[in-house]
Amino acid sequence: MTGLPPSVLQQEVALGDLLDARTFTEVCQSFAELYRVGVKVFDAQGNRLVEVKVGNADFCGYIWQKPDGRSQCMATVQRVKGDKVPDEAKPVAFDCFSGCRYVVQPVVYEGDVIGRIVFGPFVPDGLLQLPRTLTSIAPDFDSALAASYLQKIRRVPQPTAEKIMKHFSEILDVLVFSGHKNLLTARLHIEAVQESYRELQDKNRQLEDSFAKLKELDRLKSNFLATMSHELRTPLTSVIGYSEMMLEGLGGSLTDEQREYIGIIMEKGENLLQLITSILDITKIEAGRIRLVMSEVDLGQLLRDAAATVLPHARKKKITLACEVPDDLPKVMSDREKVRQCLVNLVSNAVKFTPAEGKVTVGASVAPPGRVALFVEDNGIGIAEEHLAKVWDVFYQVDGSNTREYGGAGLGLAIVKSFVEAHGGEVQVKSTPGNGSTFTLLLPLRRESVAPVRAAPAERRAS
Amino acid sequence: MVAINSETREVALKVVYYGPALSGKTTNLQALFQKIDPSVRGRLMTLDTRDDRTLFFDMMPVFFRSASGIKVKLKLYTVPGQVMHESTRRIVLQGTDAVVFVADARRAETASTYAYWVNMLKNLEANGLDPRALPIVVQLNKRDLPDLRTDEELKDLTQMVKPVFMPAVAIRGEGVLETLHALLVLLYRALDSRVGFERNFHITEREFISQLFSHVDLRGTQLASAGASP
Repeated sequence: MTGLPPSVLQQEVALGDLLDARTFTEVCQSFAELYRVGVKVFDAQGNRLVEVKVGNADFCGYIWQKPDGRSQCMATVQRVKGDKVPDEAKPVAFDCFSGCRYVVQPVVYEGDVIGRIVFGPFVPDGLLQLPRTLTSIAPDFDSALAASYLQKIRRVPQPTAEKIMKHFSEILDVLVFSGHKNLLTARLHIEAVQESYRELQDKNRQLEDSFAKLKELDRLKSNFLATMSHELRTPLTSVIGYSEMMLEGLGGSLTDEQREYIGIIMEKGENLLQLITSILDITKIEAGRIRLVMSEVDLGQLLRDAAATVLPHARKKKITLACEVPDDLPKVMSDREKVRQCLVNLVSNAVKFTPAEGKVTVGASVAPPGRVALFVEDNGIGIAEEHLAKVWDVFYQVDGSNTREYGGAGLGLAIVKSFVEAHGGEVQVKSTPGNGSTFTLLLPLRRESVAPVRAAPAERRAS
Repeated sequence: MVAINSETREVALKVVYYGPALSGKTTNLQALFQKIDPSVRGRLMTLDTRDDRTLFFDMMPVFFRSASGIKVKLKLYTVPGQVMHESTRRIVLQGTDAVVFVADARRAETASTYAYWVNMLKNLEANGLDPRALPIVVQLNKRDLPDLRTDEELKDLTQMVKPVFMPAVAIRGEGVLETLHALLVLLYRALDSRVGFERNFHITEREFISQLFSHVDLRGTQLASAGASP
């Protein structure tokens, strides 16, 4: 048998398991009292489950005093207990050498013999005097005394004995059936629970295995991205560098058309480089390999730098770029390069998503308790409510379709969030579709906790 | 699997009635209980949970002694049909020698029948039993109702194994004995080829069937005219 452990359904029924020993003894006692005859019940292996004696103690006790009596008594008991009887619920009489009698009947359940009932000893109706087999067991046998003891044992006609036996076996049958039913119910409940538990454990193990595999795949993916981004950057730097050299006329003079084309090559090359750098950043963040380099930073200066970086782009779109920095803005301990990257990211986004002749405002203010707020506000297309919470996720884009109007890999804001949180800060976004958005970075004045840099989990692209 | 005790000359066999909830498994056993003479069967034991009407399962033993003195014990079980009793179904199926799959023959029950059929095959395999080698009878029950599946529409049940199909209206006792009869014929043949029933135990197929069916009320069945012989 493979698979499941053997069930109680597969096991043979044992009489002792089906009866509650104490209750059953009580039943036998009241039964024996009612009929004034002893009763014994054995299981299929001959183990005695119950013995109730009625009236025969003196008589049998006297016989036991004689060595021959004792040995013959034991032989009778053996016969009554072990002699083969037909496998059916019919009574069989066993005569004792003392003149008494037993009636024996197998306990048949579901066609199987699972024990036997022994009813007796009783005095058969036809016994008029003590038999020779008894009186001859010892020369000093006192027949008169034995006969007086015999009076205490009930005299039962054979048909009555069989009727009593029938009655008792019917009671026992009901007890056995209910006992079996209870046993199966209880054991099967346990088996069913164990089996369900085993099944759950199996499934858990499978899930754990797949989870471990997924984690390993994720690690391999991050490694691959990091390596690839690095490898892509090297040749790209040459593309940009040589374009720049040609533009500077180092390769000879260029026609206006050539200059324009090379300008485009360089610009697109730089876009590509930025994208690759973002991927590298995010893989570093995911791998937990980003370290902050802290120093006292003038955030006002940083805001103006960021605005200046994006200014040419804003001018092309005729977007007004305003900078509102209060004079008393305190310096903040932070990683200058990473905060700058965050701000450039936000300002480029703002310019990207604001239509021509719109307005982008960058600024800062002290935000209690103990924080500085850097904000980038635009009056662009805005973000619908359902997308607001997800814009910080890796690879998430509000418009994830292939034909989308605005480019980008969906990494910028995820990087911003990771960097700001690494500073112990917080990012916020407010937006009204059609009216514009405000992104706010809250940086603590004093950096209290160093949170590990972690990227938000990748979400499926909205499609 | 068949338990043979050569010392006590006993052969113990297990038959399981499997199928979706309310397909008529218990009804089958109740009908058999009515029709089989008490001298060759025990009580019908119904184990039920206290808190609802959900049947846990039923069990009924049937037994006879062959002319050669072999005692044959056949235990008939039903499984609980409710989905939640999946583990009990698997436990009851343990070591079974033959299966009656009781299906509601209506078209509307096709999907649920198929789900339980696949579930049974899976649970047989979980118990190390090969469904292709096991005697299986599919009882198409509730044939008195409208919108029944035609023979053409039973292909989903014959992909992996080729069961014998038996029509029935178990609630009226129709087809119940025929189903058991068909199953026992399959069971005997499977046992004979596996453990040499006739050679080792001197029980012929005819005796195997008639020892039991001579104690069955065959009135109104197709078996009555066939003389209950295979």
